[in-house]
Parts: sequence; C-alpha cells; structure tokens
Amino acid sequence: MKAQHKWLPWLFLTPALIVALTFTIGPFLNTIVLSFTDATTLGGGAFNGVENYIDLAQSPQFWISTRNTMLYVIVVVPLLMILPLLLAVLVERNIPGIGFFRSVFYSPVVASMVVVGLIWTWLLSSDGAVNRLLEALHVIQEPLPFLTDTTLLLLSCMMITVWKGLGYYMVIYLAALGNVSKELHEAAQVDGAGAGRRFWSITMPGVLPTMLLVGLLGSIAAMKVFAEIFVISSGTAGPGGQARSLVYTIREVGLGLSGEIGYASAMSLALFVLTIGFSILYLRSQRTDQLR
Amino acid sequence: MKKLPTIALALAGVLTVGLTGCGLGSGTSGTADSGSASDEITGEITFSTLQLKPTFTDYIESVIADFEELNPGTSVKWIDVPFQGAQEKISTDAQAGTLPDVINLNPNFAQPLEAQGAFVDLDEAVPDLRSQYVEGAWDAFTVPGEDGSFGFPWYLSSEVTMYNGSMFEKAGLDPTKPPVTYDELFSDARTLANAGADFTGLHPALENRFITDLGRLGVPLMNETGTEWTFNTPDAEAYVAELADLYQSGVFPADSLTQDHTKETEAYQSGQIALFPSGANFLSIIEENAPDIAEVTDVGPQITSEGGPTNVSVMGLLVPETSKNRATALEFATFMTNAENQLAFSKIVTIFPSITEALSDPYFKDDSDGTVESKARRIAAEQLTDAENIVPVQFDDRIKAIVIGKVQLAMKGDLTPTQALDQAVEEANAVTGK
Repeated sequence: MKAQHKWLPWLFLTPALIVALTFTIGPFLNTIVLSFTDATTLGGGAFNGVENYIDLAQSPQFWISTRNTMLYVIVVVPLLMILPLLLAVLVERNIPGIGFFRSVFYSPVVASMVVVGLIWTWLLSSDGAVNRLLEALHVIQEPLPFLTDTTLLLLSCMMITVWKGLGYYMVIYLAALGNVSKELHEAAQVDGAGAGRRFWSITMPGVLPTMLLVGLLGSIAAMKVFAEIFVISSGTAGPGGQARSLVYTIREVGLGLSGEIGYASAMSLALFVLTIGFSILYLRSQRTDQLR
Repeated sequence: MKKLPTIALALAGVLTVGLTGCGLGSGTSGTADSGSASDEITGEITFSTLQLKPTFTDYIESVIADFEELNPGTSVKWIDVPFQGAQEKISTDAQAGTLPDVINLNPNFAQPLEAQGAFVDLDEAVPDLRSQYVEGAWDAFTVPGEDGSFGFPWYLSSEVTMYNGSMFEKAGLDPTKPPVTYDELFSDARTLANAGADFTGLHPALENRFITDLGRLGVPLMNETGTEWTFNTPDAEAYVAELADLYQSGVFPADSLTQDHTKETEAYQSGQIALFPSGANFLSIIEENAPDIAEVTDVGPQITSEGGPTNVSVMGLLVPETSKNRATALEFATFMTNAENQLAFSKIVTIFPSITEALSDPYFKDDSDGTVESKARRIAAEQLTDAENIVPVQFDDRIKAIVIGKVQLAMKGDLTPTQALDQAVEEANAVTGK
C-alpha cells in the first residue's frame, strides 16, 4: 500500500513544479543558452561561443554597473540590518497610539516605487525642499546637485532604498523581538544593566538569525536595484550614465527593437553569479561568527 | 526508485523542448509567411496606433467607419498601444508573426524591422503613390543602403519656437522678434537668464534635440551607407562647447542636464524658462495646462543655421509582409493617409498632413484670426515643403543613451567637447556596427 503511494508527493508537487518550470527554471536555463548566442529581440540566436562574455569583460559600462551595484550592497545592506531593528525596538512598546507610528513607518513599503521616486525627485531637485532646508539652516550656500552629480545621485538612491525598506524589515524584526525572552531583560535590569547594554547583550543575540535573514534579503534586493536609479535620474542613470546598476544596463542593452538578448543574458548571468557568490560568502561568514 | 529517473527524464524533455523553442529559435520576424491571399478588398484587418486613444478616438473611429462603408465586407479592428512599452510589444508581435495588418510606427521604431524585410515595399506595391506625398516624409521610411520604401507617411510635426513674450519684455528683448538662428537663440537665452528675474532662458532637452540640432547645423551625422557615425566634427565640437558654457553659466536650469522633453515642457508651463522650441502641437497642451503662460506665448520659425536643413518628425503606417489581407491593409493605409482624412485630422490638432494636396489647403496659409495656433500652423506648414527627417533611423535608444551621456559629461566639464564627441562616435559605432 505504501509503495503504491510513492507517486502521491509528486502529484501534489506537480502544479507548483509546472509553475516553477515555466516561469523560473525554464527561463533561467533559457537565459544560460541565450548567453552563448547572438540573439536579438527580433531574431538571430546562432551560437557564438563566449563572445558575449568577452564583450562583457571589455565593456566599461559593465564594470561601472558592477562597481555601483557592489557599492549599493555595501552601503545599503548594513543600514537595512541596523535601522529597522532600532525602529522595531522603538515601536515594540505597547503605548497608546503606537499603531499609528507602526503604520506610518510601514507606509513607504506599500507605495509604488515610481511614486516614491517622483516625490523624492521633487524633494531633491535644486530648488526642492531638501536644498531649501539646508540653505535655510546655512548648511550650504549653493544648492547641492543631488540629481546631476553621480555620487550624490547614487547616495540619494541608496537613501530611498533604505527609507522604503525600513518598514518591511521593521515588521520582520517586530516578529523576532516577540521571541526575545522578557525574563532575561527583567533579570538584566535588576542586575543594573542599562538600555544600551540590554540591547547589545540580549536583544541583538536574540534576533541574530533574523538579522542574517534581513542581510540576505537586503543584499539580494540591493543587487537588483533599478527603479530608484531609473526614476530619480529621469531614465538616464545620471550624467553619462555613470550611476547605472547592473539591472539598469541589462534593461538598456536587452530591450527595444535593437535589443541584444544574447549579450543581456550574459550580463544577467554575471549578476546571478555575483548574487549567489555574495550570498554564499555572507552565509559562510555569518555561520563562522555564530560558531564562535 | 525507478520513478525518479523517469520523472527527471520527463523534466529534461520539457526543458529541452522549451529551450529549443525559446533560446535558439530562428526568430524570423515573420518574413517567410507572405500573407496576401488575394487582391480583393474584403475581410477583417487589425490596425494599431501609437497612443492616440482617447484624445482622437472619435476621429479614428469615424475614418474606420467611412472605410468600412466605402468597402462593404471589410472590417477594421483598432488597437491603440501606449508609447511606453510599444517597442516591446512590437518586437514580441514581430517574433510571433502577429504584427497588425496596418501598424503605426515612427521611422526609428520601424527601421530594425524594415532592415529584416518585415514590411511591404510600397515603391513596388503602390508605385503611383510616392509622388503624392511630401518627399522628405516618404524618404523617412527607407533603409540606408537599400532600395524600397516601407511606410505611408501619416501625420507630420514640425518644430516651431514658442516663447514667452512677457519674459522677453522683462529682459528687454523685442517680443515681436523671436530668434531664428542658433546664434540668436543662445544670445536671447543669455539675455533672458541674466535679466535678474525668476526665470531662465532655455532647457537643453538633449534627448529630444541634440542630434537634430547637429543635423540642422549641417554636421554630417552618418556616412552615406549609414554604417558609421561621423558627427565628431569641429562644428559639432563648437556646438557642444556652447552647450557647456550655457549650462555652466546658468542659462539652462540646474537640473536640466539629465532631464527630457517632458521636463522641458513642464519648465515652460511653470514659467521657469522663456524659450521652448518644440512641435506646434504643444500649443494646445500649454493652453490646457497653463492658460496664463499660453496667453503670453508667441511663436517663431524653427531654429536653423544658414543653409542648414529644416527638420520634420514623421509618423507612418506600415503593412507587414505577414498580413493575411494585404490588399485591404494597403487600401486602408492609403485611405487613412489620403488628403481628405489627413486634412480633417490636422484640424483637430496642430499636426500636418504628409500629402502635398492637403498641405496646400488654404487652412495652412490663413492666420487672419490672429491666434497663435494659426500663426504656428502657417509657419510650420511653410517649413514643411523642403523639410527632411534629420534624425537617422539608426539613432535608437541605445545610441541616444551613449551620445547624450557623453554630451552631459562635456556640459559638466568632465570631458572636453572633442573627447566627448570622439568617445560618443567610437562607442556608437561599436553598437551600430554589430
């Protein structure tokens, strides 16, 4: 009887497997194949060996995109690991009206990235609210070129990514904080430990696995950054396209009627390798930390 | 235990089929299946337009109704595609061989498909029609280095120079004398920017105007075979140096470096800039969004250089080779672009007919009502007779990004004009030459 039902798990798996095969695994494998061809949006598809990868290695745009993407990960991920945790600790307390603040902090998460981008474009323009405020406070004499300076543009996009992600990761941390022992906090308080000491010695270790998860999710999201850069820079990736990310360049190269699908596929695979490589390194380093 | 390899084999089979179908598909753009079953004008055709709904729904539907009435047994199914994402839809349709029977494209969108032989050659299919259309417009749907023309020119747009007369007065300029040449344009823009008011002169809108400006200045944009870019000339360098000076001296708005034509329109409507060279059809948009600005807006002719060409933007109708009903499709495209229908279209919005008979109508010469629209109409129509589509069809989004990117760096002072143009030409050639 048992042997006859061996197929049953596969039967239950089939619908999900079909979806995964059609929309994830199939296209992924297709991308690998395409990366070795000269396919364009309008045809082609002849095998051309590693030509796309050689072009990639020689392309300044690819290296600028890779540099910016890595910078994005390095700056954004630590911020996304720490700031939402602090925010979660802040709104965890059950005081009247705290629900309102939780909702406010979460609201950027549900807002469309395009809308968020447009709002920030207005705020960051040379005569926008941010420059006006800094001028009024006498911090600056001339408006800062947030939208036309590559470094400031990238930093602005990073800030928007962090701002938009705060609420999402805050909710994850709120769930994790619920599992941190209250008794430990009380005992530490009785022993005279201050808020900072308790955060460092009790809260942080308690949510460490969640921090690991947030770091991983954040780094994958940062690797895929596109909308912020596209909207804030009016679709130009800043002067000379110097603020481009890998996804931005993949889109630029692969879309349109002259799109080079083969080349864009090679670039997508490079991004995939980067993402997987970074994730493995990250997980290994975290595991080593935990073992210590 | 034996089941697992069987399942794995089945999955591998599915993937193989998938990969064969997608990755290494031949992607013929549908050129092989030449559809024209008969020369009879009957049956259903599909007609797609670029972002004409809902503003022109009544007009398009009335023309379709007239066509169906005139040709019993025909039926036209109209689809409107938003400009954003149109290229993706067209390329998907082309791959699947399901392009509409009559498709509305501009020359840049059409070119990659024309080069693959996706459209009916009108010089062969309807040889008598060429002479009826404005020459520069008909030539817009040709492929450099190849014979044939692949699109019926439909509506045209010709740039005029809109300007804020009130700001001209405030800056001490004569509001009845708009700039005509590039020297005058930049001189007026400097005067306006230095007037000490809360407006500046001009917006560069590089993505919309840079390459057209070079063409109007007489800079050779490509070689004769259309295979290489050639715009790194001393004249072009002088022009880029001028743009850099205008940007760095604040004649262009501070954030304009990376902004597009939409932002330029917004800047004019909000009273941030005084000069707005653009299509005459933007007058109605200004009227709708900023009536106060529209009230003080006047128009002058398109900015040109001495002896340089005048530009015309062309929209066209093309019939794919894959059309199953080619005769009806060709008849419909001819009907849609005939003098009567184009004239009616031009009376709804400030666009211009591509057919010479309609263009010579008194409607385009009479500005006696004193409105700025009729003045713009007269000026633009006068320009059209010897205008040409300056922007090479190879100037697609990717080339545009390369070229504009280098010019932006030159305007910031990160590259010299010579470096910017040399690098732009080199990188653009690397893409065009692929």
